[in-house]
Amino acid sequence: MHKFLALIFLSLVVGCNNSQNLDNTNYDDPIPPESGGVLTNAMIGEPNNLIAMIAGDSASSAIAGQIFNALLKYDQNLGFEGDLADSWTISDDYKKITFNLKQDIKWADDKPFTCEDVLFTWKKVTDPDTRTPYGSDYQLVSSASCANNHIFIAEYDEPYAPALETWASLHILPEHLLKNENINDTYFSLNPTGTNFYALDEWTTGQQVKLKTNPNSVHGRPLLEKKITRIIPDLSSQFMELIAGNIDLMNINPIQYSRVFPSRSELNDKINLYKEMGNGYTYFGFNLKKKPFDDLNIRKAISYAINKEEIINGVLLGLGEEITSPYKPGTYWENKSINKISFDVSKSRELLEKSGYQLNANNIYEKDGKPLAFEILTNQNKQREMTAVLIQRRLQDIGIDVSIRVIEWASFVNRFIKTGEFEAVVLGWSLSLDPDQYSIWHSSQDGPGQFNFIGYNNPRVDTLLENGRKELKNEKRKQIYDEFSKIIYDEQPIIYLYAGYGLTAIHKKIKGVKKITPPAGVFHNDYEWYIPKKFRRNEMSL
Amino acid sequence: MLNYLIKRILWMIPMLIGISLISFFIMHLAPGDITSNESAFNPKASEESRQKLRELYNLDKPIIVQYGLWLKRIVQLDFGSSFASHQRPVLWETKDENGNIKPGLIQKALPITLLINLLTILLIFSISILLGTIAAIKKNKIPDRIITLFVFIGFAIPGFWLALILMYSLGVVNQVLPISGLHSVGYEQMSKLGQIFDLLKHLALPVFISCLSGLAGISLYVRNGMIEILNQDFIKTARAKGLYEKKVIFVHTLKNALLPLITILGLSIPGLIGGSVIAESIFAIPGMGKLFYDAVLMRDFPVVMGILTIGSILTLIGNLIADLAYAWADPRIRRGLVK
Repeated sequence: MHKFLALIFLSLVVGCNNSQNLDNTNYDDPIPPESGGVLTNAMIGEPNNLIAMIAGDSASSAIAGQIFNALLKYDQNLGFEGDLADSWTISDDYKKITFNLKQDIKWADDKPFTCEDVLFTWKKVTDPDTRTPYGSDYQLVSSASCANNHIFIAEYDEPYAPALETWASLHILPEHLLKNENINDTYFSLNPTGTNFYALDEWTTGQQVKLKTNPNSVHGRPLLEKKITRIIPDLSSQFMELIAGNIDLMNINPIQYSRVFPSRSELNDKINLYKEMGNGYTYFGFNLKKKPFDDLNIRKAISYAINKEEIINGVLLGLGEEITSPYKPGTYWENKSINKISFDVSKSRELLEKSGYQLNANNIYEKDGKPLAFEILTNQNKQREMTAVLIQRRLQDIGIDVSIRVIEWASFVNRFIKTGEFEAVVLGWSLSLDPDQYSIWHSSQDGPGQFNFIGYNNPRVDTLLENGRKELKNEKRKQIYDEFSKIIYDEQPIIYLYAGYGLTAIHKKIKGVKKITPPAGVFHNDYEWYIPKKFRRNEMSL
Repeated sequence: MLNYLIKRILWMIPMLIGISLISFFIMHLAPGDITSNESAFNPKASEESRQKLRELYNLDKPIIVQYGLWLKRIVQLDFGSSFASHQRPVLWETKDENGNIKPGLIQKALPITLLINLLTILLIFSISILLGTIAAIKKNKIPDRIITLFVFIGFAIPGFWLALILMYSLGVVNQVLPISGLHSVGYEQMSKLGQIFDLLKHLALPVFISCLSGLAGISLYVRNGMIEILNQDFIKTARAKGLYEKKVIFVHTLKNALLPLITILGLSIPGLIGGSVIAESIFAIPGMGKLFYDAVLMRDFPVVMGILTIGSILTLIGNLIADLAYAWADPRIRRGLVK
């Protein structure tokens, strides 16, 4: 609650202070790249552990990603390119991937990087004693080996289509530093040695993480000399630090993007805003194991009764998109031929009546004396709460009695989702880059703690998901997942509500940011970013 | 006297066991554990791997067994390590065989919180005693009314709201104070004096904000205590024998009116280690409040229990010190106690 009030207040104050021009420098002049300089940004939480396979929090992966490399990485159009691997080949039966590793690469401590490091990392991530939640993808590798110092071979019993993605997300760790360590509580997790652009300079607990360039970086030297990430848990405080010029970039929210910035021209003189498709979507999910949600007509009726456009405008101030498949709009895997179910009250009533529901004296639909009423459950997340309220209102209009319950995350997961004791939820999933959705939609994945907790069960979808995992040809795979997306949309086991944009504010003194954000995101080329000398803070002593 | 002290200290042991037992059970009554929070909705993380974690942390054992394991460690003063993936020690730093130091969570958070709270209490008490005394002397006159109004506004105003206004006006518009954090960039290069000054600048707003709500209670306490004593016969006697008013107020009245404050001071000892979650979040101060709050949300049991245990020990010690100090300051109680 306090954050919400704070935002209202902030927009008031900010709106009333137009006369305050804090900074008269003109940042728009083109200036050629200059190396050096310190970039300061902020995060809401402190990284836990810079060994990403163990950490699992987003703060850790953000920092660790600048220190470590995987074998592969995504290029700016979200295809694969080599990271520590130069090239890779897939055998004809799709069961063997051979990675040719880059040669003459050194760790930040000058020890050579070899295939043994990759093998060691694979052994660690599949070791039952390693406290990692990510082991299962790599356990599918039936044998991993090094043909020589620069050739790593991973063999699978069955073709596994998401395999390349898994090798793009596994940070390779140095064997020589970790072989005698317990990876679960090693000091290395606080002071790592990697191969990527940056190395840890200094970590002030609870306050900031400072990175410096790694002279042995596999991709050469980035332009920015240092990166400071300050830990500021409150987003209003972060925003004030941004407009005071103390941090150079942050993720902003829709109110800041479309209310605060347009009303303050002096902010636009020194800060650029970037908008890109975000990484997740929000949905309204039914518990399919409960009546009346096993009835397709009811699900469709509810889908027709929800005004998704209104939700996008109300919750995200228009900064989001409707989706029809669980893939990023505009990317390869999206099924563009699906027709949207749009807001249509009469269709909704028609479907309800087809299922035998009639309006009763209180204007609520009922069947066999039982009114159509249920509870929407969601966790403490402002956007989801607002979404639930808008849905409640629309369903109330049509004659469905809905209540809302907002619950703290841990209780939400353990008391309701795991036990299946819920009727409907407003929740989110990420928009994955690989199209595989096995763990969310396959009927075998509906046990307690698994991700098909809504209980979706369709043999055709099961087959598609199984085949999709084995098919490595993109065109064939695309057909499989197009059909999958179509079936899911036709059956509406969840109602896709919106995929919000990621909004980033970056100070104009940071040059080299691409004007048109590539699919891989605004940070994709941050090694080319630079701060011209005349815009740098007084940072000689750093 | 010594018997009394020993008896009181021995009594603390069953009390502590009781407190820890109740907090341990309440904490475990809340649904979920660390494994369900760290990767609950990560499709890449399987349920088997979470079960594996649960076994590693003994979370699959019956709760009474878990309590026994915890108690066994705690009597050896081992507060254990956090369940979070950094595995940092709860209380104090540990050294591995290569001499690398993992800092303790409480060790890092406590000094900051203590500093802020000590400054706050010092300010609250000195300002409150001053304001309370003035209000009592000018009882029901304009200064009294103004002071009462002022302290109640301070009490009623939402701290986070005022904090944001002050941050905006003093940090963004007129850049005189830092907005958030504890140190400026380049803190390490400053001189010792510069570092202290830098720290104080960063603490000015947080301390001011936490002071504001505390003034009302204490200053009214002082005011009412003073008024009650001013009406007593011995004050009349003092005045009748022609003592200076200054002496009447500051020696005879104030001294007596301050006695109950000793209890309050004692009771605020446990509060010294607790921080405000909201203030710490807004000002980006890595203190005890945020540490505790995050640990509760993450169901990081060792950290929650560590902080609760230290908190209860300090509460019991605070009570004891308050009682002893009271006896030391008030001869009436001292005599009753000796008997």
